[in-house]
Amino acid sequence: MKKTVAVFFGGRSTEHDISIITALSSIIKPLELTKEYNIVPIYITKTGKWVSDANLTDIKIYRSGKINDLAAKSKPLSVSFDGGFAINKKRIDIAFPAMHGPYGEDGSLMGLLRMAGIPFVGSDMDASVIAMDKVLAKQVAQANNIPTSAFYAFSKLQFTDSPSATIKAITSKLKYPIFVKPAHLGSSIGITKVKNNDELSNAIEVAAYYDNKIIVEEAVENLIEVTVPIIGNDILTPALVERPLSKDDGVFDFDTKYINGGGKKGGAKTTGAQGYSELPAKLPGDLYKKSLAVAEATYRAIGAGGIARVDLLIDSKSSTVYFNEINPLPGSLYNHNWRASGISSIELVRKLIAFAEQRFAQQQKQETTFDSNFLQQF
Amino acid sequence: MIRYYWTRYLAIYPTTLLYMLQDSEYKLGQYFAWFNRTSDFRHVMKRRNLDITPKIKLLRIGLWSLWTIAELAVAVCIYIGFVNQSSLWGLIAIFIVLLMPYLMAYGIIVPLFIGRVLIQLPREKAIIKEAHEIFAAHPATRIAVVGSFGKTTAKEILATVLSEGLNVAATPGNMNTPIGISRFARKLSGKEDVLVIEFGEGKPGDVKELSQLSQPTMGIITGINESHLESFKSLESTISTIFELVDYVGKNATVYKNKENDILADLVSPKDTFGYSHTGVNGWQVSDLETDLHGTTFTIKKDKTVIHAHTKLIGLHTVGVTVAAVSIAHDLGLSVQQIEASLKKIQPFEHRMDPRQLHGAWVIDDTYNGNSDGVKAGLALLKNTKAKRRIYVTPGLVEQGNKTEQVHIKVGEQAAKSADVVVLMKNSVTDYIMNGLKNAGFKGQLIIIDDPLEFYTNLEHFVAAGDVVLMQNDWTDNYV
Repeated sequence: MKKTVAVFFGGRSTEHDISIITALSSIIKPLELTKEYNIVPIYITKTGKWVSDANLTDIKIYRSGKINDLAAKSKPLSVSFDGGFAINKKRIDIAFPAMHGPYGEDGSLMGLLRMAGIPFVGSDMDASVIAMDKVLAKQVAQANNIPTSAFYAFSKLQFTDSPSATIKAITSKLKYPIFVKPAHLGSSIGITKVKNNDELSNAIEVAAYYDNKIIVEEAVENLIEVTVPIIGNDILTPALVERPLSKDDGVFDFDTKYINGGGKKGGAKTTGAQGYSELPAKLPGDLYKKSLAVAEATYRAIGAGGIARVDLLIDSKSSTVYFNEINPLPGSLYNHNWRASGISSIELVRKLIAFAEQRFAQQQKQETTFDSNFLQQF
Repeated sequence: MIRYYWTRYLAIYPTTLLYMLQDSEYKLGQYFAWFNRTSDFRHVMKRRNLDITPKIKLLRIGLWSLWTIAELAVAVCIYIGFVNQSSLWGLIAIFIVLLMPYLMAYGIIVPLFIGRVLIQLPREKAIIKEAHEIFAAHPATRIAVVGSFGKTTAKEILATVLSEGLNVAATPGNMNTPIGISRFARKLSGKEDVLVIEFGEGKPGDVKELSQLSQPTMGIITGINESHLESFKSLESTISTIFELVDYVGKNATVYKNKENDILADLVSPKDTFGYSHTGVNGWQVSDLETDLHGTTFTIKKDKTVIHAHTKLIGLHTVGVTVAAVSIAHDLGLSVQQIEASLKKIQPFEHRMDPRQLHGAWVIDDTYNGNSDGVKAGLALLKNTKAKRRIYVTPGLVEQGNKTEQVHIKVGEQAAKSADVVVLMKNSVTDYIMNGLKNAGFKGQLIIIDDPLEFYTNLEHFVAAGDVVLMQNDWTDNYV
């Protein structure tokens, strides 16, 4: 009998639209082509309403805006945890989160699915929480002797209450140029490269517009930026080390990734969901191997599972590879890189589902009860 | 069938009937076979839309006239029944309504027949007569290309090679019928040095008719196999039809013959210097042969003449016919430099062993290849190509007559030795191919696809870097 896979996408996130593309093109379509699963699309609107409808797999309804009418007319979903996880009385066997950013990729959905007691694709709740907090992720990396660039983190409240003190703290700890980032957002949203004091305050305000927690990082000199998608639970399979071709300001921003679809001229390039990149990255010396090693070490340190993409910063002169960020659900699953690595889109979703089931089976073996006479003694 | 009977009353139904006629090339046997095995008329037009030609416009008028007549008949029956208070007329009206889809489907052949007799045939007869006179007066060397398969490729290779130093005209596309070749003749300037004419054959006498029309002086027989066996009935009939060319040009005339084809190999005398293969022809010897997905390279020598050949064509089977073209070119006076330059210009032909890259995978588009020799050549190439996964995609072959089962078992056996993944488009021959795979102990992955179009349009999801995918043949809607 075919298993039913619920694909969750959309959500209350700035990366809502990217999530739709990830779900429709990289997850639902390959899953459909396997003919092995019943697929239940679960779309979460920008306001947080859950919708399930067969038409949700058609990109046209999002492009035309008809999705708003569909969402408005749809009845609230009934979610049941009784005797398994069911949506509108349809039993769900496996969940496939395709959500980016807050309320989806950050562990929130994973918590719900843990409670529901079903296997789900991607990292578990704890790893997702760490991965989606750039500060926590760097702290975990540092604790595991994985190099990171120097950084300073603070809350929006701290900056609002004492902006001068915050700026002073930043400039005393870090050297320009620096990057100001919202701590929880992906897809390069709200990131600014700052070269002097005059630009800093404005950059912090931009980041604070998106997030309550802000991280400021020192730029790595002689920079080569690379990214490594990885799949697996215990045994890891990395894809190719990929070098995004960023704009001259060194920021591989949202427009470069998703809108313009292009970077610098020249060099071997490949187009993917994330614009142009060098695939595989042509790195001097043993930096390619070193990048793979740092990426895998970070994946394990964070406790990621299923799939993630580890972004690295390389100082080409000192040959130091720094961990920068880890993305527990890369946009479009980074399937352009997986295909180049020899794993087709269909194989990729099959493997991810297998990893989800494997982890779930392992979790089921763990004892979750403990007999005691505590209540009797109370 | 009853479950979907209502689909015969949808607005798309008349268009679907016209599409079936057009897709069957107005061959009534194919049209009725298709019509009778179709139950749901909603999804017949999958691969293309109806091409609105003047003929289709006329047939559409005929179809709507039939529909109007039937509707009027129903109205009259209801009226009479109402006036006479007779339920019999009501029953007759219901009967007409029920029969209406069949009246339209079968009635359409009346305007088709009238149009053919009164308009098409007289016009074609005049064009063919004129073409006969054009060919008779034309001074060019006329090369006929005939065979069960590989004609278009041979024609294109010949035309490309000879065009380097000569004024060459070749029949375009698949214009290989008497009317197609006659239309080609009307466009000739009379100043051409060489005419390359592809002959289509579907029944005994066809090659003779085309020979009398275009009056070839020499020819190429590309091979003989089970293609069109449904109309030829036997391989002997196919052979004698194709050899009508030899009968026409005479035994002393030059006719190159593909010795790599099993049937021709038995028919060609070892003394026949015009039997070609990848080892050479007519005294030309091939050496240093290398072929991969980027093209084919080899050296050809005859006496002291040496030609270094490089084409973008892939597969060993392309070498023999290329050498035959070189031999003809040399005999017609082209220099070594001209021949070498011309060979570099030969590109893979669209949908015929046409390689392209898709996300790091190689996809060889051989979807216009619908014959057993093409299958053999394609699978040989797949077997000898380095790949992470060798993927073979096919629906099988059509028009194999009483050899259908035998041919497809062989396809399965050959695929088992060449592919890691076999993807079959589900249809009437799928089981035979599966039997062949089983016979040969296939241990790879077998995928059966219900919806070929869905597979083709989503191929990018199935492949990854390192894969080599060979896609052979694609059944048009009238065969599915």
